[in-house]
Amino acid sequence: MKLSKFGVAVAAMSLSAAVFAGGTHGGGHDGGFGEAGKAEDVSRTIQVEMFDNYFEPEEIEVSQGETVRFVIQNNGSLVHEFNIGTPKMHEAHQKEMMMMVEHGVIQGGKLNEEMMNMDMGNGHTMKHDDPNSVLLEPGQKKEIVWTFSARTSMEFACNVPGHYQSGMYGDVNFDAGADAHASAH
Amino acid sequence: MTRSLMAGVLGLLMPALALAGEYNISVDRVIIDTGDFVKEGIGYNGSSPGPVLRFKEGEEVTINVTNNLDETTSIHWHGLILPFDQDGVPGISFAGIPAGETFTYTFPVVQSGTYWFHSHSGFQEPNGAYGSIVIEPKGREPFRYDREYVVQLTDKHPHDAGRIMRNLKMMPDYYNRKQQTVGDFFSDVSEHGFMTALSDRMAWGDMRMMKADVEDVQGFTGLINGKGPDQNWTGLFEPGERIRLRFINSSAMAYFDVRIPGLQMTVVQADGNNVQPVNVDEFRIGVAETYDVIVRPRTDEAFTIFAESMGRSGYARATLAPREGMEGPVPELRDAPLLTMADMGGMHGMDHGSMGMGEDGMSGMDHGDMDMGGDSMSGMDHGVMPEQEEPAMAGMDHSNMAGMDHGSMMMSGNGAEDPFYAKGSGLVPTAASGGKFLSYADLKAQKPLYEDREPTREIELRLTGNMERYSWSINGIKYEDADAIKLQYGERVRFKFVNETMMTHPMHLHGMWSILDTGAGKWNPVKHTISVQPGTTVYMETEVDAPGQWAFHCHLSYHAASGMFRKVIVEGGPEQGNTAGVEQERVGGDV
Repeated sequence: MKLSKFGVAVAAMSLSAAVFAGGTHGGGHDGGFGEAGKAEDVSRTIQVEMFDNYFEPEEIEVSQGETVRFVIQNNGSLVHEFNIGTPKMHEAHQKEMMMMVEHGVIQGGKLNEEMMNMDMGNGHTMKHDDPNSVLLEPGQKKEIVWTFSARTSMEFACNVPGHYQSGMYGDVNFDAGADAHASAH
Repeated sequence: MTRSLMAGVLGLLMPALALAGEYNISVDRVIIDTGDFVKEGIGYNGSSPGPVLRFKEGEEVTINVTNNLDETTSIHWHGLILPFDQDGVPGISFAGIPAGETFTYTFPVVQSGTYWFHSHSGFQEPNGAYGSIVIEPKGREPFRYDREYVVQLTDKHPHDAGRIMRNLKMMPDYYNRKQQTVGDFFSDVSEHGFMTALSDRMAWGDMRMMKADVEDVQGFTGLINGKGPDQNWTGLFEPGERIRLRFINSSAMAYFDVRIPGLQMTVVQADGNNVQPVNVDEFRIGVAETYDVIVRPRTDEAFTIFAESMGRSGYARATLAPREGMEGPVPELRDAPLLTMADMGGMHGMDHGSMGMGEDGMSGMDHGDMDMGGDSMSGMDHGVMPEQEEPAMAGMDHSNMAGMDHGSMMMSGNGAEDPFYAKGSGLVPTAASGGKFLSYADLKAQKPLYEDREPTREIELRLTGNMERYSWSINGIKYEDADAIKLQYGERVRFKFVNETMMTHPMHLHGMWSILDTGAGKWNPVKHTISVQPGTTVYMETEVDAPGQWAFHCHLSYHAASGMFRKVIVEGGPEQGNTAGVEQERVGGDV
């Protein structure tokens, strides 16, 4: 039972990578939700602090097409995620994160790296290495460079089980500048 | 009087530091209208339940309690950490508040979260003397919400609580409407064979218990914030808002299984202490426990808060709605659970040999022979439950049976498992939605309150009783015959609860926290009330950091009153000597 369930988990996780790569599916937004940015395009840096269980700041403002470097620091005592996506993507990703908890990858304040990198067969792992997100242990600091090419309903969120629901997310507000896709959502 | 003067002087001395509030509470005779019946009872400030007291962490509170009854009263601040002489238990903390007098409580508020208060005198609490406490924290909470509501449950009975106690003493099954009948026996015979049915009955007879004793006081109306199901207490919201619901179970006897069909709930606090958030579809709230959950209704519709009692003999109902007057569908009560032999696993003196269930019984056992009990599983057809098969069957394999030497008894139970219930227990809850039901095992402290350390010693407390005489006790000894439990200031005591009865007991230690051992080490949740299910052993640890003397008891009103109660004396510590002036008289009837 465990094994087959694990198989499903692994399949789901590898699927998500494909979804992100395609950028057209998970959010259900034709315009996608942006893509991994290049360091040389970065126009500014936004510092995001993680606490138990909330972000500071809780909203950010971006312009369409802008490339932002996020420097994310976990100042809490639990593992947290910083994930850029649409609310629907977050909802889908929460199921995967639930499996990471069930399989001992996320243990309160610790990440079990060994478990994450373990080969589950077929070359799949539980690595959390999508370009739109980072998973941080307490005290860790990581960066993401993201290009907000699509103007859509977006949030940055922690999808560790229960964290999003208790309020650990923030709004990505696109600035008021005129935009052709403004009415899309 | 002196006390309030003292507080006043202190307040003058440190005006910058002191955040002080003064509150007045009157204890009154009130009329309680449940929609099903109208009954005189006891309330605070003219109503039952009493007010929501809103304190701030760090505040020095002064509470003037005026007793307008013609009998002694008291208020216990359930779950609050305070000096023992402010804890409000007559005979242990103080002498009580005589009729017509005002007593002034003063204490610093050193915590935050959802709590409640109630009379600790006689049966005033089940007669209506309860209210809620909401304490705003100093710092930011680990969650956010747009609005909040207290959702305070109780099991209001048409009989006066004193009369209920007398009836139970005379006839312990007086309020048990779900007893099995001769007809049930013959239907068991046809389903399970004569010998199995007979030995099942004989075993239950040996226990002095009846199989349907999940709730020994039935016939109540479930109330939410004082409103019966038809009166439908309603909390308003705007779609998209995050709502914090502060559930408090102020029942005399009833556990409730709580759900809000259509909404997932995120549990963020248990017994006033933040827990790492858990998403659930349903949770069971023991008597005296509190759970705070966050819900986020996104649509413009009404949602029903539905709380079925654990034994399904009653329910409470309320509504979350965008506008007054809207109602959601109200579910039907599910079938009552039946206790199984596993729920008596801890029963002392249970003679398996006399049941004549040796090898023969075992060998004749197959799935068809077992009463898989439980609503969802009866008439189970393996072919039509592809998705549920694995978890359901997991509970039925031989390794799980190893611990049960009464394997051929009717092992009801729905296949669900929870480490805090006996294996094969008929009480293991399952979510009506088929989704996640909260377990104690899911509770992890958001932030450990104490450093994790080895306990200095262990104290075993067997929860005992004789249902035939409606007498409840600890280690076989009733309160009036028992010595106090002596603890030393500074030690960390590990309490081992062994439930040798077939009822669930919510054990409440006053004055000090109960750290429930879920196996999570430093993340073990911190509670004030710990439910111990039939046939199970549960451990909790207590950092003995509060000098004085305290009550420690089962919070089921009629169990506490009939003897499942202890006094705890903490010796040593900074305020040693304070206990000298306290009246030593025991008041056995106090809850």
